[in-house]
Amino acid sequence: MSVHAAEKAKTESAVHDEKKERADKIDFKMVTFSLAGKEYGIDIMNVKEIAKAGRFTYVPNAAPFVRGVYNLRGDIISVIDLRTMFHLPAERKAEGALESLLILQVEEHVFGVIVDGIDKVVGVSRAGIQPPHPIFGDVNVKYILGIIESQGKLFIILNVEKLFAPKKAEAEKTTVEDLAPGRVRDLGLADRTMDNKADSAGDLTADFIKETLLAFRLFAVSSVNDAWFRKRYEEWRGMRQAMDLQLKEQGEAEQFLETFYSPCTGQLWSDEYAAAVGALMPDFKGKAINVWNPGCGKGHETFSLACLLKHKFPDARVKIWANDSDLLAISMAPNMVFMVENVPDLYVPYMVRGRNGWTFLPAIRDSIFFEFHDVLNANPIPPADVILCRDTVSFLPENDQKRLLADFGEKTKHGGLLILGTNERMPLEGWKAVKADGVSAYVKGA
Amino acid sequence: MRVEYINPFVEAAFNVMKEVLLADVRRGELYLKSTSMPVMGVAAIVGLAGDVEGRVLFDMDKPTALRIASTMNGEELETMDELVKATITELANMITAQAVTKLHELGFRFDLTPPAIFTGDNMEVSNQDVEALIVPMETPQGKVEINVAIRERA
Repeated sequence: MSVHAAEKAKTESAVHDEKKERADKIDFKMVTFSLAGKEYGIDIMNVKEIAKAGRFTYVPNAAPFVRGVYNLRGDIISVIDLRTMFHLPAERKAEGALESLLILQVEEHVFGVIVDGIDKVVGVSRAGIQPPHPIFGDVNVKYILGIIESQGKLFIILNVEKLFAPKKAEAEKTTVEDLAPGRVRDLGLADRTMDNKADSAGDLTADFIKETLLAFRLFAVSSVNDAWFRKRYEEWRGMRQAMDLQLKEQGEAEQFLETFYSPCTGQLWSDEYAAAVGALMPDFKGKAINVWNPGCGKGHETFSLACLLKHKFPDARVKIWANDSDLLAISMAPNMVFMVENVPDLYVPYMVRGRNGWTFLPAIRDSIFFEFHDVLNANPIPPADVILCRDTVSFLPENDQKRLLADFGEKTKHGGLLILGTNERMPLEGWKAVKADGVSAYVKGA
Repeated sequence: MRVEYINPFVEAAFNVMKEVLLADVRRGELYLKSTSMPVMGVAAIVGLAGDVEGRVLFDMDKPTALRIASTMNGEELETMDELVKATITELANMITAQAVTKLHELGFRFDLTPPAIFTGDNMEVSNQDVEALIVPMETPQGKVEINVAIRERA
């Protein structure tokens, strides 16, 4: 309650003092607007934005208060004239003139309401809101949250949920229809009870994105990559803002996954990345090193690791079982040819000039078995010292992810190293995370 | 299965069948399989040993086997007799031998076991833990599936 109001009623000062105290705490913000010369307010939590718009597309056979549909940056929303809805006089503006529009969000529905004029955001104390008086005329009491006085004006606060989530209201009272034929029916899809509307809507979109990632890219969000997904989802929301968050095609799914892939995917590891991986290697001096590299793709990472191990442990006998279920990719792997200019320094000593370009020395090539193999079938791999499996687990169905990760546990020697994709985590017990730059690595049983 | 092994088998199957059947042979999409699977009626098997262990299985239904044997022998054969079985066995042997020869040229050492042939109805091959490469071949005589399972000796 404002100072001005308190001054006006000096005779009831005691009451007003109490009210003033209450008013100091602002815990309810509303967007105020006018309809036929009277002031109204709507909870700011329901207001997505305000806009000026016109040229609504008329929808035949719709209720009289539905002015049409409007294209809000790609989203088609329906536009409702609150004045018609409440049987208030409304001046028809000239063809093409812009109307003041409040874009509201109730549950997951977004729509626009036309009002005479939008005023400002007013902060009040929730405790100051008084229940509507039953004899209020033009707006059905059902739709009024309450009345509040602020800066010497009375505001009628509309209950948007009651107005626009009709199914719930219908269950409560059937007579509502007579008083306000202007209720929008069929806006509410279901009588879902949502405690926190914003969050629930967010979860739905996130779930939808998860499903499309699975459908378009076979990417399954699970405990392995959940941390990345949540972060990426927030980022995505920021990037797309009011645009549609959902992924409508393969390209968008790919765009969403852009930040998922580990460094140097599909190319030889850079000297920096190789150094970061090299720093994690346990001491293998002078013995055999068995490596399993599921999902090796075209084999770039396999050759990178082979050279790295050869460089770090020149005397060790390295054997790498590299496999992929993409026949085309894996078929090319054993006979990769490079242009020497494009090769990081680390690999040059292990390459030799061939007819078409530079290839790896037989010593490196012979240490690798490239296999056409599906990791979901039995994996006849001897106990491994290192498992390199970047950005592969996430592209398996969730149940198979668990199975493969469990298999990693069985196939790794005690103290062996597991390298997952940069944005992948090992959710199972028995592994200890190793700190490293941009590498997600785990040591078994340590 | 090592990628180096795939092509020799696919090429050998293609060349040999084209030559002995005197017809256009088409290769279907290659894929991997690890569950037990039904045998179409006639199955010839050749074992492999050496650097690796494994086997090659040639699978077809009876009418296909009869038509292939008829073409290869240049006469109409109507019953699953010794001649038909010997012919299918020989086909399996030729394909596997040519593949192994190609592999030998690439520096891999494989030995063959003598082929064996199985005929019957409702047969099934189960080796759960072995992943096999399936090479489907379409011939005018019918469909032949070549099922190759090879693994490195650990």
